[in-house]
Amino acid sequence: MKRANWTLVGAGLQPRPPFGPIRAANRSAAPLARAPRLTALILLLMLSSTPAITMLPNLGLSARADSEPSVYAIQGAKIFTLAGAPIENGTVLIRDGKIAATGSNINVPAEAKVVDAKGLEVYPGFFDPITQTGLTEISAVRATNDISELGDFNPDIVAMTAVNPESAHIAVTRSSGITEVLATPGVRGFDTGGSAPTIAGQASLLNLAGWTNEQMTLGSSAAMVVNWPSIESRNFDYETGSFNERPYSEVKAEYDKKVYALGDYLERARHYAQAVEKGSTQNFERDLKLEALIPVVEGKLPVLVVAQTARDIRNSVEFCSKQNLKMILAGGTEAWRVKDLLKQKNIPVILGPIMSEPNEEDYPYDKPMTQPSELAAAGIPIAFASFDTSFSRRLSQQAGNAVAYGLSHDEALRAITVNAAKMLGVDDQLGTIETGKLANIVVTDGDPLEIRTQVRYLFIKGQPVSLENRHTELYEKYRKRP
Amino acid sequence: MKLKSAGNAPWIFAAIILIAASLLSQASRLRAEGGEPRYFAITNARIVPVSGPVLESGTVVIANGLIQSVGATASAKIPAEAWVIDGKGLTVYPGLIDAGNDLGITKPEAPAGEARGRGRRRGAAPIPEHISTGPEDRPSTSPWIVASDDLNAADKRIESWRDAGFTTALVLPEEAIIAGQGSLIDLNDERVSQMIVRSHAALRIGLRPETFGFPDSLMGVISYLRQVNDDTAWYDEAAPPYAAHPNGIERPNVDRTEEIMTLILHRKEPVLFPANTLVEIPRAMRLAQEWNLHAVLYGGQQSYEVADLIAAKKYQVIVNLKWPEGPKDPDPEDIPSLRELRFRDRAPGSPAALAKVGVKFAFSSGGLADPKEIQKNVRRATTAGLSSDAALRAFTLDAAEILGVSDRLGSIEPGKIANLVIADGDLFAEKTKVKHVFVDGRHFEIHEVEMPHKPGEKPGESPQESNDDPEVGR
Repeated sequence: MKRANWTLVGAGLQPRPPFGPIRAANRSAAPLARAPRLTALILLLMLSSTPAITMLPNLGLSARADSEPSVYAIQGAKIFTLAGAPIENGTVLIRDGKIAATGSNINVPAEAKVVDAKGLEVYPGFFDPITQTGLTEISAVRATNDISELGDFNPDIVAMTAVNPESAHIAVTRSSGITEVLATPGVRGFDTGGSAPTIAGQASLLNLAGWTNEQMTLGSSAAMVVNWPSIESRNFDYETGSFNERPYSEVKAEYDKKVYALGDYLERARHYAQAVEKGSTQNFERDLKLEALIPVVEGKLPVLVVAQTARDIRNSVEFCSKQNLKMILAGGTEAWRVKDLLKQKNIPVILGPIMSEPNEEDYPYDKPMTQPSELAAAGIPIAFASFDTSFSRRLSQQAGNAVAYGLSHDEALRAITVNAAKMLGVDDQLGTIETGKLANIVVTDGDPLEIRTQVRYLFIKGQPVSLENRHTELYEKYRKRP
Repeated sequence: MKLKSAGNAPWIFAAIILIAASLLSQASRLRAEGGEPRYFAITNARIVPVSGPVLESGTVVIANGLIQSVGATASAKIPAEAWVIDGKGLTVYPGLIDAGNDLGITKPEAPAGEARGRGRRRGAAPIPEHISTGPEDRPSTSPWIVASDDLNAADKRIESWRDAGFTTALVLPEEAIIAGQGSLIDLNDERVSQMIVRSHAALRIGLRPETFGFPDSLMGVISYLRQVNDDTAWYDEAAPPYAAHPNGIERPNVDRTEEIMTLILHRKEPVLFPANTLVEIPRAMRLAQEWNLHAVLYGGQQSYEVADLIAAKKYQVIVNLKWPEGPKDPDPEDIPSLRELRFRDRAPGSPAALAKVGVKFAFSSGGLADPKEIQKNVRRATTAGLSSDAALRAFTLDAAEILGVSDRLGSIEPGKIANLVIADGDLFAEKTKVKHVFVDGRHFEIHEVEMPHKPGEKPGESPQESNDDPEVGR
C-alpha cells in the first residue's frame, strides 16, 4: 500500500454472512436452480403491485468457513464494469473474495456456484463516502449516539473503534446496493447533531457485512475529518427564536483565532513528525493526537474538509494548499461559486443530499440539483454522500435526481462508486468491476438510479449477503396481519 | 438648556460653570416660586398652523399654557406681562407628536451573567412584569399596565426629543401579546402627573409567539387573542347583571383582562395592531374587523405594497421611522436577498404611497435612539416623494386625530395646548435649527452647542450636563 495508515483487514478474514436463514438453507444444500423460480415469484409480487421487497434467494452457499475458498459465477447479466463499455450477456467470476475475471467468454470452473442473472444488471457495489453508519442508531436516544467527541482537536479518534456491527441500519443500507461506506466522526447529518470539532477524527472505510467491526473494516483510517470553522455573522438566538446579526469584526476575529489554532496544531504535528523521523522521540512525550496527524501533514492521508459556503470553501482550499494537505471537499453546497478554484487546485467534492433548498433565497431554486452536472462539466470529480445513517439508502436516488437535472448517467453511476474510491485512494480495490478488485458487487433488475429498481443479489468481499433487513421484517410481519 | 434670558447664554458658552450653575438654579427657583412667565408672544414670525393657511408674518400669543390667539401682528393683543420673542426669520409650527416610542419606559434588566440559549431553564430568570401572575393566568397579557404609571421623567431622552422639536409622545409598554396601554405625554420637564395628556391613550398588542410556553406559534397567538375577544364580550354581558343583582346569579370569574378590555373597547381606545409587512398588514385589518376593534396599523413600513387596500378599508397607520437597514458592521460576503434589499429601498416610500391614496398616518420613532435619526429618516421619506406639508401633518394634526386628541393638540389654534416648535427655516430641511420649543406654554430655548446628547457622549460626562438636570433647584 502506498498510502499510510491503511490497515487492511486480511483477505483471509472472510466475514460470515450475518443472517441465519441463509445458513439454514445451506445445510439443505438447496440447488441454485431455485433461484429462477424465486425470481418468477418476485416478478409476480411486483406485478400484483405489492411493494416488491426482494430477498436474497436461498443460494445455499454462505455458511462455508471463513478460510474455505469460495468461487461464484454471475452469469448471463449485462455487466456495467465502469471500466469500459458494458458487457452484454457476460460473466463475473469471483474467487476468494476478489473478482477473478469479467467478460463474455469466461470459463466457469466446475466448483463455482453459479448465479443465473439472465436479464439482470451487474454493477460495482455503491459507496456512500460520508455516513454515521454504526455510530448512531436512533438519534433521539442519546445512548445510541457516538458520533463525535468534545474538544476542538481530536485527530486520535478512530470511527471504526465505535462502530456497532449490529446496527439495524447496516442491513437496510446494503439492501439498496450500498456495499461500503465511510463512517465519519463529527460530521453533522440530516438526523444527527452533536458537536462538530475542528479536527473531528479519522473516518473508517467499512464493508457493510461482518460479525464484528474488525471484520467490517476495510481501512480504519481512510481520511481525517476537518470541520472548517465558519464566519458566523448570523447566529440563532434561542431566547427570541430569531437570527441575530453579529458585528463582522467580532466574528472575523473569532474565526481568525480558530484558523490560526488549526495551523498552529498542524505545525506542531510537523515538528513531531520530524522528531519521530530523526529517532529523537526520547525527547518527546508520545502524543497520540500529533502522531495521528503525521500522515496528514505528510500529505498522505486525505483530509475531508466539511465546508458549505463559497467563502469557507475558498478559505479552506487556500489553507490546505498552503499546508500541502490532500484535501477532499465535503458538503460544498456553494461549490459552484468557486468551481474555477476547485478545478485549478484539483479538489474533488463529496456532495451532500441534493434534494434540498438553496443556501440563499436568490439562488436558482434548482441549484442543489443542477450543481452536480455543473461541477462535473467543469472537470471536478464529484461523489454523492448521504451525510446520514438511516437515509444512506437513498444514495442512488440522489444520483438519479442529479441525472434528471443534467448529470450524465455514466457520471452519476461513477459518483456513487469509483469516484469516491479514487478520492480516498482505494480505487485499486473498489469502485469498478475489474480483475483483482474486491468483489463488492450488486445485481439489479434494472437501472439502479431508478427508484423502482430492485437489488436482487449482493456480494460483499465475494460473499453473497442477505437482503433481509428491518424493513423486510416489518413488511413480512404486517403482510401476514389478518 | 432652559434659559430664561438670552443673556445667560454667553456665560454658559464660556463654561464658567459655577456662575452658570448659580444662574440656572436662580432661573429654576424663579419657576418654582411661581415667577415663571405664563404669557408669551412670538411676533413677526412665519406661522404654519397646519389646520389653516400659512401666515407669512404673524403673532402667536400664549397664555397659561394655551394658545390665546394667532393672527396678524398688528391686530394681536399682547398681554402687558408677556415675554415677547421677536420671530423675524423664524417659523412657528405646532409641536411634533411622536406616535410611538419608549421614552421614560425602563425595561426590566436581565440579571448579569444570565445563561442564554436552549439550556436555560424556564423560571430561572425573574418573571418579566408583563407576564401575568394574577388570578387570570394568561400568557403575556397585561392590559392593566399603563405606561405613565411607571414613567421615568428623568430619562435624558425626553430632553433630547424636545430639543429636536417634539412636544408630545405616545410612550408604549414593552411588546407582549397584550402589552398594556400607552400614554400620551407632553415632554414638558415637569412631574409625570403634569406631563400626562392621556394616560389610557392606546392599547398595544403583539403577535409574537412566546419563546417558552403557550402560545409558541403565530396561529396560537391569534387563536388566543380571539379567545380573549370572546371572553371580553362575554364579560361585557355577564358582569352588569351580576353587579346589579348578585343574589341568585353564579359569581363570574375574576379576570382583570376581561374587565379592562371591556373598558378599552367601550371607550374606543385605539388598539395598535402590529402591521409592518405585506403579510402582517392585511392580516391585521382582517382580524381587527373580525374583532371589531378600533385598530390602528402599527409599523406600516411595507404599506407601499398595499396602500390601496388600506385606503379601501379606511384604516389609519402609524409608520415606524426606523427604516429597515442592514447591520452596522456587515459581513462583506453575507449578501442580503433581493427581497430584503427591495424592502430596505422602498420602505421610506410608504408614507408617500399612503398620502397619495389619502390614508391618514402618523410617525413613530420606536427603535431609534437619537432624534437626529428621526429627522434623517423623515428626509428619506420626503426624498421618496412625501411632501413636506404631508410630513408635517403626519407629525402634528393627523397624529392628534389618530390618537383622538385633535381637540387639544396638533395645530396652532386658539384654545389648544401651547405646544410649539420654532425653527429658523423649513422644519424638515437639513440645515434648519430648532430655536425655541414651547410645551404646555413653557418656554425652552435651544442652544445647539449645548445639546446634551452628542453622539458618543455618555450622560453625566460633561459638567454642563449635570447643570442641566431638570431636578436642580426643584
